[in-house]
Amino acid sequence: MPSLNSIRELEHMRERLQEQRQNITTTVMVCGGTGCQASGSQAVISAIRDELSRQKVGPSVRLCVTGCHGFCEQGPVIIIEPGNIFYCSVSPEDAFEIVSQTLVQGEIIERLLYTDPVSGKKIQTELEIPFYQAQDRQLLSKNLLVDPCSIEDYIVTGGYSALTNVLNGMAPEEVINEVKSSGLRGRGGGGFPTGRKWSECREAPGDEKYVICNADEGDPGAYMDRCVLEGNPHLVLEGMMIGAWSIGAQKGYVYVRNEYPLAVKHSRIAVEQARELGLLGENILGSSFSFDVDIARGGGAFVCGESTALMDSLEGKIGEPKPKDVHTVVNGLYHKPTTLNNVETWANVPSIILNGSAWFASKGTRGSTGTKILALTGKIKNTGLVEVAMGTPIRKIVYDVGGGALNGKQIKAVQTGGPSGGCLPVDKFDLAVDFEELSEAGSMVGSGGMVVMDEESCMVDVAKYFLTFLQDESCGKCVPCRLGIDRMLEIITDITEGRGRPEQLDLLEELADTVSQTALCGLGKTAPNPVLSTLRYFRVEYEAHIKEKKCPAGVCKALITYSIDPNQCNGCGVCARACAYGAISGKKKQVYVIDSQLCQKCGICRSECKFNAIQVA
Amino acid sequence: MLQYVNVNIDGANIRTPRGTSVLDTAIENGICIPHLCHVSYLSDIGACRLCIVEHVINGRSNITTSCTLNVEEGMVILTNTERVQKLRRNIAELLVAQAPNSRAIQDMAVRCGVKEVRYPFRNDDCVLCGRCVRVCTEVWKAQAIGFVGRGKDRHVDYPFGIRPDFCKLCGSCVQLCPMTITPCDGPMKPGEERLCGKCEAQLIISEPTPGSCVWCKLGEGFGCGRYA
Repeated sequence: MPSLNSIRELEHMRERLQEQRQNITTTVMVCGGTGCQASGSQAVISAIRDELSRQKVGPSVRLCVTGCHGFCEQGPVIIIEPGNIFYCSVSPEDAFEIVSQTLVQGEIIERLLYTDPVSGKKIQTELEIPFYQAQDRQLLSKNLLVDPCSIEDYIVTGGYSALTNVLNGMAPEEVINEVKSSGLRGRGGGGFPTGRKWSECREAPGDEKYVICNADEGDPGAYMDRCVLEGNPHLVLEGMMIGAWSIGAQKGYVYVRNEYPLAVKHSRIAVEQARELGLLGENILGSSFSFDVDIARGGGAFVCGESTALMDSLEGKIGEPKPKDVHTVVNGLYHKPTTLNNVETWANVPSIILNGSAWFASKGTRGSTGTKILALTGKIKNTGLVEVAMGTPIRKIVYDVGGGALNGKQIKAVQTGGPSGGCLPVDKFDLAVDFEELSEAGSMVGSGGMVVMDEESCMVDVAKYFLTFLQDESCGKCVPCRLGIDRMLEIITDITEGRGRPEQLDLLEELADTVSQTALCGLGKTAPNPVLSTLRYFRVEYEAHIKEKKCPAGVCKALITYSIDPNQCNGCGVCARACAYGAISGKKKQVYVIDSQLCQKCGICRSECKFNAIQVA
Repeated sequence: MLQYVNVNIDGANIRTPRGTSVLDTAIENGICIPHLCHVSYLSDIGACRLCIVEHVINGRSNITTSCTLNVEEGMVILTNTERVQKLRRNIAELLVAQAPNSRAIQDMAVRCGVKEVRYPFRNDDCVLCGRCVRVCTEVWKAQAIGFVGRGKDRHVDYPFGIRPDFCKLCGSCVQLCPMTITPCDGPMKPGEERLCGKCEAQLIISEPTPGSCVWCKLGEGFGCGRYA
């Protein structure tokens, strides 16, 4: 590919590519994201490719392997344009039918359509699916249009036009003011105004400056950064270029965790392609702007998502947070002014430049503008990546997008913001996904994890789970975080194992408060949130564990016993066969009994029993 | 030429050279801020979090460590408010429960007002203050010891556990270790969840004036910067 030396050459290339693609009538978009690959999309892709050549379908049909569509639960997912036909859970055997019926004859295959779990109806198009209908997909919808390994795809769909707009006569201050007035705030968790960060970095003394894209996403169950970076790496690169140009940086890094092989691969390919086209390197598109990006892989430490630790890690040192009395926008990577933003933040920049700050600010609330991708998981009907406008109430996300509780159970709480976020009870579901509103309620937007819990989740156990995670991932540098989390976990373990004492609750609260006020970095400061929020909203559960030595949700093994209800048991013996410990005995057609001495409380009998005869108390 | 700035610590207006930390300024002017990982001739990492102070900006106060905070013109610092004392006491309690047999840590805990320890004792001894690692790295440029592991596995060790040749056994690390200060006759025993009380005699002098340095013997124990 020849290198592009001016903005006009880029526009020519775009026009030429658009002409070439005019005779494509049908596009088959198969999701090649990590989620769908796990459910076998690679085999589906090669099966469809084979079928296309075997049935001699001409060049009018194009197969596009895209990034994540968001509905990972239903993967592998295929969308066929025109018609917006949505097929889910496709297997390689379906390839013949998809090609011969849908692509050639234009018929819909009923069997592969999505069934709405609420109404039970088959839904033909993607846009009609309730999961997608309630969303406002600005970033995720771009994933559908491009093959992440192809810069042509990105350019055809208008890519790098924000960069040309900027290079074509916008002053750096103008760009920064545009970002400022858009109200864009850091999507990685902190919610710091991006425009302010940029202008502080621009004003910081020094010629050598850096921009960093933080793709070291590690929250359990959250994967929005992965999805954006692996699904549309050029969008992130374009955002970084615009940022680098406006603050005056010459070098950028994408710090991506090594556990995201596809994101590493795609971002590397994207950087190489951009370099080849002259979109990275010296004098980009004939302007005076020179900028290059390198991909750095993280070594698997959660704490390296913290900005100062990430910069230490980039420098080749141990990734440990440093005190931020002098901000990284003044003294960051290699002691130079550095702007670090999250993947999603960078990805929002090109559309702000293209559509204007007013367009961006029109979405969301006054303090929190734009859209936010959330990773919706837990005990609800639809799980996956969800992009909604900021300010959308939690209730709408859980019930409209998520489809409500599974198996007719009652939803009890939602945990927002990853391990450092908090648990909000059902009566707080009218709160909006908004930086201020959630932190006032003791939780946070965070990076956007959203785990829904139902009546079978024990909130003490949830707090214990997140503390265990944070204890493993704390760097151990400062005392409140290292010893504080350790002691909190010790107390909570005591409570879940029936050794809890009432006075421990006050100690737990005091300790959590101390850690949140005195820890060195953001990880430590937010680490007590799971404890503080569950203590605030679910204190009754803690008290039940301590005073009555009972786990109301039937989760904490030390506090529960399994028994068989003689009125429900019909003596089928399924439970006895399922029990790995031989703890259930009895005769056919008679009531079975559980030997509490042998029972390991694994719960297999309960899930096997079809008559709800196994009781937990 | 030294440039001076004016700061206000606990209501006292202090003129101090630019570039010094709030902790050094306070110690020099007889204001007591208990500390552990700070050594006057080593860099500060803010690990022990004992030297926390309230930094008042526009009427809002932030909790931050005074060792890593450099003085700036017009800064307002409160070192011994009730809030700070409570937080400091809680941190000291965590430390003393971890290494109850260290006289330095006991002394420091007593100075921070710890009267009872509400956590079960462990005898880990090392509290990862990092004094040894920093003296080896910064003064002797040897880097013979360093931190290994993360979180609860973090410990101080030689590279790959083998003593390298550039460790000259100079003993600087041992000198600075809070565990090596000759213990008094009443260190805490595991299971005895109270402070021995012998050092409490010191509190007769220091407790009525928590915010000011009275050259208490406790400071000698934990290596207070004023004795350096």
